[in-house]
Amino acid sequence: MRILVVEDDALLGDAIQAGLKLAGYAVDWMKDGVSADQALLTEPYAAAVLDLGLPRLSGLEVLRRLRNRHHVLPVLLLTARDTVEDRIKGLDAGADDYLVKPFDMGELSARLRALIRRSSGKPAASLCSADVELDPATHQVRHKGVHVELPAREFAVLHALMLNAGRVLSRAQIEEQLYSWGAEIESNAVEVHIHHLRKKLFPGLIETIRGVGYLIPD
Amino acid sequence: MPTSLKQRLLLLSLSTVLVVWLAASLFTYFDAREEFEELLDAHLAQSASLLVVQSSHDLDEIETDHAPLLHKYSRRVAFQVWDEERVLRLHSANAPTQLLATQEQGYSNSVIDGKRWRVFGTLNESGNNLIQVAERTEMREELAENIAGNLLKPLLFSLPLLALLLWIAVSRSLQPLIKLTAEIGRREPENLLALGTTSAPAEVQPLIERLNQLFTRIDTSMQKERRFTADAAHELRTPLGGIKAQAQVALASVNDEQRCHALDNVIAGCDRTTRLIEQLLTLARIDNLSDDLTEACPLKSIAAEVIAQIAPMALKQDVRLELTAENGRVVSGNPLLLRIFLRNLIDNAVRHTPSGTRVKVEIGDINGQTRLSVTDSGPGITDAELSRVAERFYRPVGTTAIGSGLGLSIVKRIAEIHHAALDIKPSIEGTGLTVSITFK
Repeated sequence: MRILVVEDDALLGDAIQAGLKLAGYAVDWMKDGVSADQALLTEPYAAAVLDLGLPRLSGLEVLRRLRNRHHVLPVLLLTARDTVEDRIKGLDAGADDYLVKPFDMGELSARLRALIRRSSGKPAASLCSADVELDPATHQVRHKGVHVELPAREFAVLHALMLNAGRVLSRAQIEEQLYSWGAEIESNAVEVHIHHLRKKLFPGLIETIRGVGYLIPD
Repeated sequence: MPTSLKQRLLLLSLSTVLVVWLAASLFTYFDAREEFEELLDAHLAQSASLLVVQSSHDLDEIETDHAPLLHKYSRRVAFQVWDEERVLRLHSANAPTQLLATQEQGYSNSVIDGKRWRVFGTLNESGNNLIQVAERTEMREELAENIAGNLLKPLLFSLPLLALLLWIAVSRSLQPLIKLTAEIGRREPENLLALGTTSAPAEVQPLIERLNQLFTRIDTSMQKERRFTADAAHELRTPLGGIKAQAQVALASVNDEQRCHALDNVIAGCDRTTRLIEQLLTLARIDNLSDDLTEACPLKSIAAEVIAQIAPMALKQDVRLELTAENGRVVSGNPLLLRIFLRNLIDNAVRHTPSGTRVKVEIGDINGQTRLSVTDSGPGITDAELSRVAERFYRPVGTTAIGSGLGLSIVKRIAEIHHAALDIKPSIEGTGLTVSITFK
């Protein structure tokens, strides 16, 4: 899962980035509205964490531009202003959720999970495909009720495929979810992760559509 | 003097009326008495001349006898007719038998048997009979007293009536004041709307106008305070959010390097929040400061003192501080505030200037006015940001130095207090920023 964090405060931005990375997300951190707007235009994100008080372009304006492009990306607003009017303004501009600073990192991750779950059309907390159950909150995967230990990257690939069960994801799409902007991508990493997943769970779980990508049947 | 305006007005007007009335009465009394004495004296003379005419013909026929009483006042009028041997030939019933006055002719006063008389004496045409006519002085005094009494009697009745009418008039005139008092009394403390002036009398209007001005000033200062508190509270949320998030990252981190990084950031966050709070307090304090600017402030020594305080921090960042100052530049102001002013400016400059560069503090004069400037060698700021840089909590884009965005607000406020011109512009040499203050 790749998340865009837009926060101009050095300490808070650094903490959110570190915290979300620990929660297993790939994170891009932008420090002003204009670079956030450009990143949203070009990069595929699973969700965005957006501060309202941003230099160069306000958070609300970034959000408005995003929604004007008919983009349904889940957006969580961070705000230092906690009046009802501020919240209404944010939600009306197209935000899906908001948190008032200072907030709990655990709550931020939980809200992001909920947003991503809802936007993928799978409101249940854990995802199930065939005999495999994946819980995004606890990062646990069970096969026929038996716990299977997965490294973060493999978990992320499985999570992406299960979220989009029934849809084919290209290798590039999976890679984009795995790596934050500027990170070096190993050439056949996705193939390796898929290979491991098939071995650890069961071979028929992930199907290869030659020349197109991978899918987990719905 | 009573404190009630009503009582005071009433007392003043009543006592004025009383004094004027008494003075008028006294004057009238003395004036009337003089006229009236002359009139009575004339009467005496007239009575005497009648007797003179009478006595010259009939005296021989008249026995020593006395005339009858004809009027209540006539009891007090007496006469005597003496012949040439000064034998009393004729006299009124109330007249004594000795001469009424020893001064035989003209007006005189005399006392006989404890009774006071006003006497007029004259000789008849042949010059042998002496005629003396006299009046009891008591009668005259009684008459004068009656006149005075008659003058004062209306006052006795009209004074209470006047007091009542004045009371009503004063009460009615003071009605607008009472209404105003009630209106202000009914107000909620947060209601600072202007009072209406249209129905108020001309004398009360300036009071209402002043009150309205005061309301406006209080309103402005309360709004300022409210905005400041709200801004301050919000500004504290972000660093607190950072500290909390960093602490949670430290708790959740899997390796020591990550944990140490997060914990270092927690400490940095606390330092930053402390600084923010200090600056908020400074700003709140100088916002409510009265402008006591009478003290002489030697700029050079103040600058030297502040630079000495900041120098260790500057050295750590490899930034050199330089002071160029003309001796004896003294401005009148508040030295404590000027110290805060300089500390903020120099501190700001040191934070934003790259390592290995200089921060220059210059004190000189421009067009005869004392000017103090601080120049850094930092990246400077854009023109658009220049106009906003002194706004509270404003931090330009890409600011990496840790600051609250309050430093320049403090600087601006101190300049305002000193009625000095603050100027922020790109430095003449290089990329940095020059902030200068020119004292008038």
